[in-house]
Amino acid sequence: MLFLKSMPVIASPTHYIFQIVRAGITFLACTQVEMPPLMGIEFLCRVADILSDYLGELNEDLIKDNFVIVYELLDEMIDNGFPLTTEPNILREMIAPPNIVSKMLSVVTGNSSNVSDILPGATASCVPWRPTDVKYANNEVYVDLVEEMDAIINRDGVLVKCEIYGEVQVNCLLSGLPDLTLSFANPSILHDVRFHPCVRFRPWESHQILSFVPPDGQFKLMSYRVKKLKSTPIYVKPQLTSDAGTCRISVMVGIRNDPGKTIDSIILQFQLPPCILSADLTSNHGTVNVLSNKICTWSIGRIPKDKAPSLSGTMVLETGLETLRVFPTFQVEFRIMGVALSGLQIDKLDLQNVPNRLYKGFRAVTRAGEYEVRS
Amino acid sequence: MAGIRLHVISPLVLVAVGKCARDPSVFVRKCAANALPKLHELRQEEITSAIEEIVGILLNDRSPGVVGAAAAAFASICPNNFTLIGRNYRNLCQILPDVEEWGQILLIEILLRYVVASHGLVKESIMSSLLCIESSHSEKDVFDVNVALEDNGIPSRTYDSELVNLVSRSYIEGLGEYLTRSSDTNARSSDLNGARFTSGKTNDDVKLLLQCTSPLLWSHNSAVVLAAAGVHWIMSPKEDVKRIVKPLLFILRSSGASKYVVLCNIQVFAKALPHLFVPHYEDFFVSSSDSYQSKALKLEILSSIVTESSISSVFKEFQDYIRDPDRRFAADTVAAIGLCARKLPKMANTCVEGLLALIRQELLTSDIESGNGEADVLIQSIISIKSIIKQDPSCHEKVIIQLFRSLDSIKVPEARVMIIWMVGEYSSVGVKIPRMLTTVLKYLAWCFKSEAVETKLQILNTTIKVLLCAKGGDMWTITRLFSYLLELAECDLNYDVRDRARFFKKLFSHNLCSQVPEETNALQENKDLPLVLVECIFRKQENLAASEPINDRFYLPGSLSQIVLHAAPGYEPLPKPCSSLCDDLGQFSNSIDRTTALGEEWTGSSSNGTDDPDTSGSLDEESGSNYDSQQSIPGLSDNSGTGDSASEGDRNCDPLIQISDAGIACSNENGASHSGFPDLEGMMSKRALESWLDEQPGSSSPSASEQIQVRQSSARISIGNIGRQVKAKSYTLLDPANGNGLKVYYSFSSEASTISPQLVCLETFFENCSSETMSEVTLVDEESHKALDLADLTLATTASSLTSQSDLPTLVPMEEITSLEPGQTMKRILEVRFHHHLLPLKLALHCNGKKLPVKLRPDIGYFIKPVPMDMETFIEMESRLPGMFEYARSCTFTDHLGEVDKDTDESSLLKDKYLVICESLASKMLSNANIFLVSVDMPVAAKFDDASGLSLRFSSEILGNSVPCLITITVEGKCSEPLKVSAKVNCEETVFGLNLLNRIVNFLVESSLNT
Repeated sequence: MLFLKSMPVIASPTHYIFQIVRAGITFLACTQVEMPPLMGIEFLCRVADILSDYLGELNEDLIKDNFVIVYELLDEMIDNGFPLTTEPNILREMIAPPNIVSKMLSVVTGNSSNVSDILPGATASCVPWRPTDVKYANNEVYVDLVEEMDAIINRDGVLVKCEIYGEVQVNCLLSGLPDLTLSFANPSILHDVRFHPCVRFRPWESHQILSFVPPDGQFKLMSYRVKKLKSTPIYVKPQLTSDAGTCRISVMVGIRNDPGKTIDSIILQFQLPPCILSADLTSNHGTVNVLSNKICTWSIGRIPKDKAPSLSGTMVLETGLETLRVFPTFQVEFRIMGVALSGLQIDKLDLQNVPNRLYKGFRAVTRAGEYEVRS
Repeated sequence: MAGIRLHVISPLVLVAVGKCARDPSVFVRKCAANALPKLHELRQEEITSAIEEIVGILLNDRSPGVVGAAAAAFASICPNNFTLIGRNYRNLCQILPDVEEWGQILLIEILLRYVVASHGLVKESIMSSLLCIESSHSEKDVFDVNVALEDNGIPSRTYDSELVNLVSRSYIEGLGEYLTRSSDTNARSSDLNGARFTSGKTNDDVKLLLQCTSPLLWSHNSAVVLAAAGVHWIMSPKEDVKRIVKPLLFILRSSGASKYVVLCNIQVFAKALPHLFVPHYEDFFVSSSDSYQSKALKLEILSSIVTESSISSVFKEFQDYIRDPDRRFAADTVAAIGLCARKLPKMANTCVEGLLALIRQELLTSDIESGNGEADVLIQSIISIKSIIKQDPSCHEKVIIQLFRSLDSIKVPEARVMIIWMVGEYSSVGVKIPRMLTTVLKYLAWCFKSEAVETKLQILNTTIKVLLCAKGGDMWTITRLFSYLLELAECDLNYDVRDRARFFKKLFSHNLCSQVPEETNALQENKDLPLVLVECIFRKQENLAASEPINDRFYLPGSLSQIVLHAAPGYEPLPKPCSSLCDDLGQFSNSIDRTTALGEEWTGSSSNGTDDPDTSGSLDEESGSNYDSQQSIPGLSDNSGTGDSASEGDRNCDPLIQISDAGIACSNENGASHSGFPDLEGMMSKRALESWLDEQPGSSSPSASEQIQVRQSSARISIGNIGRQVKAKSYTLLDPANGNGLKVYYSFSSEASTISPQLVCLETFFENCSSETMSEVTLVDEESHKALDLADLTLATTASSLTSQSDLPTLVPMEEITSLEPGQTMKRILEVRFHHHLLPLKLALHCNGKKLPVKLRPDIGYFIKPVPMDMETFIEMESRLPGMFEYARSCTFTDHLGEVDKDTDESSLLKDKYLVICESLASKMLSNANIFLVSVDMPVAAKFDDASGLSLRFSSEILGNSVPCLITITVEGKCSEPLKVSAKVNCEETVFGLNLLNRIVNFLVESSLNT
């Protein structure tokens, strides 16, 4: 059963089941006939995204509480086994997200439906992702570069793989039907890209310019990958020595290449090998937690200026085991505000068809993605 | 409303949907498209065609949203109706990037299937390697050179292309074919010989598809990316396939579930074309957050793409993985090391050393019993070593010895079994091993009692193997050891071990009795048999295990079946290349083969049809009837016509065959002059006067509306003249050799039966070639039902309605020939009802009281009867039978050549070559089919010696049901060269029409061979 749980595609005698697990909730889709499996999986991911978008977060209780909304959403999203409307902005127009006002209203009027009667205008327009009549008092557009750094550092401390997975997130609060053009100062560093459907392919092919009519509100304009980076902002040096049934562990964390901004929310997480019976870990900075499932979390936060944070401790091995032969992998999390570590720079953002009073904003943030240090 | 799944209201819903499909609002049309699959699920036969029609309308829509929904409807309703796609192909391709993502996924697949079906596979793509395996090695070499060029000297690996071949074949083959292929490897690819390849560089449709799908590789929906990648994988030229690599690798960054699916697909890609992924090996490094399945897949991909340049870093990674807490994964890693070492023999030593170190390390820890995982790693590492050693045992002698030494410390039974097996297998390798053998065996015998069952069995086997190749002084010790082991084994608790021991004891009874080596030799002759047997059992093992066939089955990239590795219900391989029936005439003129590759039934039946004329008789008889030649003066006939670009000479033809000729008979009502061509016309008519006679005034009614200048002519041909050429072919029914000297041959006659329209008339001649008189000659119908049983079963499905329809006798009873003198020939008219227009009819010929079975072969050309009609009616009827009722094929026609050559030296009247061609074509047609020649069009602007544009029209109707059947023959090419003739048949009965077309093409081609 455990084996089945981790299988994304399960073949039963009569059905094929696709599953994804998000925040402890399993989303299942099933089919009896041939279909592209990624279509099912991708759709489930969308459902999960949209539910968490509507409900703020995703857990069992929330879904139970908002059962009506969940049902209405699913009803709109899929019809006769084929995905219908999956664009979050459009869905938002058709089904109002739950808030206190609507809850009050439903209690007072007894009308529990929050499906809007009017057809969203976008369904009929040529840009199906954007409503036709958007009006804002203040016209604003924010472009965020959100990057995640994936890195693998092997036992010898060598950086085996280091790459950035980044997204350009746009929050667009513009009236009318604006046409935006975004260009990068150094598009050549991008290894590969993926676009929101609103992006026109031609300008990108010819000049590497993003030209698009944006959806209303927050959306992910593009995602990109930058490969073969040479350095990481922080270093983690784990050391494990084992002898006569005990194991000594010490982990040092420090800043390697100062990105110029503060690195915060540093968290180190690792799974103790199953052969360890007990662990006694202390650190000179931050807090250390060992959970019952042998997951050990060391929250460091910011790295202080005066000292290098380190974690040390001893672990008792299983009886009969002299030395440790399997070693944990440390997962590192951090966040750097204001820096895009890939070095990608936005050159300019041009707008057409927009009123004169306009505010443009840029932000960047880098987080750790799959940042792993092996020991 | 469509959601109410009630059969009763479905017609109403259909009407509503049909209206909505033409609604001005995009949203309404989209909803209409969404409603179609629901309607279709009600499974009502009568509305299916209407639904398909609406799908066609919606696919033609301008709005991307509607097209997406329509694509979904198409995929669920009529995924094989390629005509709908063909009509809108360009539009669909252009709109594809704007379609919503879910629709894109399906639309991409539909377009791919369409292109494969209509244009075949791309020559430059991986699919083309289908052919290279059988045709030549040169192409393979070219491919390898490409690979090498692309990747800067990465060694070419020929086995890849075999795998590619396998993969691509699997895409096309259905499951049934797969099964047959595995049983009969020789027959493979024979079915694909007909597959036509088109060049991706020249074919616009293919280019367009690739162009439109390439931006989709940037889609943020991973399913779209994978679908687009699948198209490029199959269709794009090999050097462009690498375009899909980066996007595929990008999807790996998305959710865990899709990562698994993508990895499954990459695995196949990487196995087929490893060089694609070689530069990206880092992307397959395992991260701890991957699920176990993903990790295992990554390992497998890594081991298939590893090269000498990347091996060192990959091995470093592997070393890390071995220390992973997940021991199952660690064991897989060890297996992957083995695979890498086998792939790169240069690295084998490093691998083995690493593995040995690993084993030593494993052995240091004494707690092997505690976790299963550790044992797995150990076993796996020994398996890996074993597989490496197998490649080159002599190089790894030291390794083997080391393993023998570690035997003492390895406690896991499976691992011990493996090492003991190696003792037996490599007992004669190198110098040191044979010396060690007795010690090892002694040790084994010593610990035999405490071993697990499998180990005991293996020890016994090994001892025998060693015994067989032992020589000299060791022999005695080993024999002693062996008998000791046997004694032990016979008292074992496990019956398997006891059985094995007894079995060996019997085999070696002589060996054991004798005990002394000298005696063994002495008794050699007597023991030959058991020894040979033993040798067979134990020495052949290597060879058996040597080659393991790849039995993997591959499915289309991105399909569910590829993930679950069996064909899910509804899975369809790619359509057969060029299998789609297009009404585009231009395509057909390209290939004759294409039509033969149509549906299976058609292929089968047409090929059967072509076999028939083999019996074509030696006699070219004049068609019996004596018509008088008539001569008359060409005259004028009223005509309409305005343009002067083209001229038409109408040849009208009735059963008496009047061929009218383009001649001076032209007049110009509208006053437009045709003075440009008086000479030509003069020549023609002069010529015409000589050979073409008789005038037919006013044979067709003038029509002012016609824009082409119709030059109606009037030289009616004497029947005697054409009769020389119109010869009905005769077929032999009974050979004198088989029929005791009775010869029976028949020819189809154009006369209609007097009894029933379904009967075909045959003129049958009975000739007595023997020296004795024959009596009571008659033909009777054998049991009519048997006719079908005899026929090929596949053809039975195409049996036309003729079979079931009527209760007419198969053969109208023939007047008996009471006696036939030697040398005498008697003629009888047979009226026969054929059950099927292709299958032979079984008859019995009674003669002298004996019964001889004979087979009467039908000729589809005589299943029709001529219908006189004029040009306008013909064109009008033709326009009513478009699209799927129209079939065309082309062939080469050389019949005229002989006569053209004859004429060239005779006179300067070159223009008359046209006449010769017309004449030979017409007579060919008329002598092989019962049809009516409607008209002959001839281009006047034609260049000297260029016959292009010449066209002949024939009309007829099917005998039983009077369904009209129109035939048009168009000629291309030069007069003095073989002409390219395209024949076109318009007929409502598709099967009949196609068979007729095949027949026409056959006799047009075949006749040229005869003359």
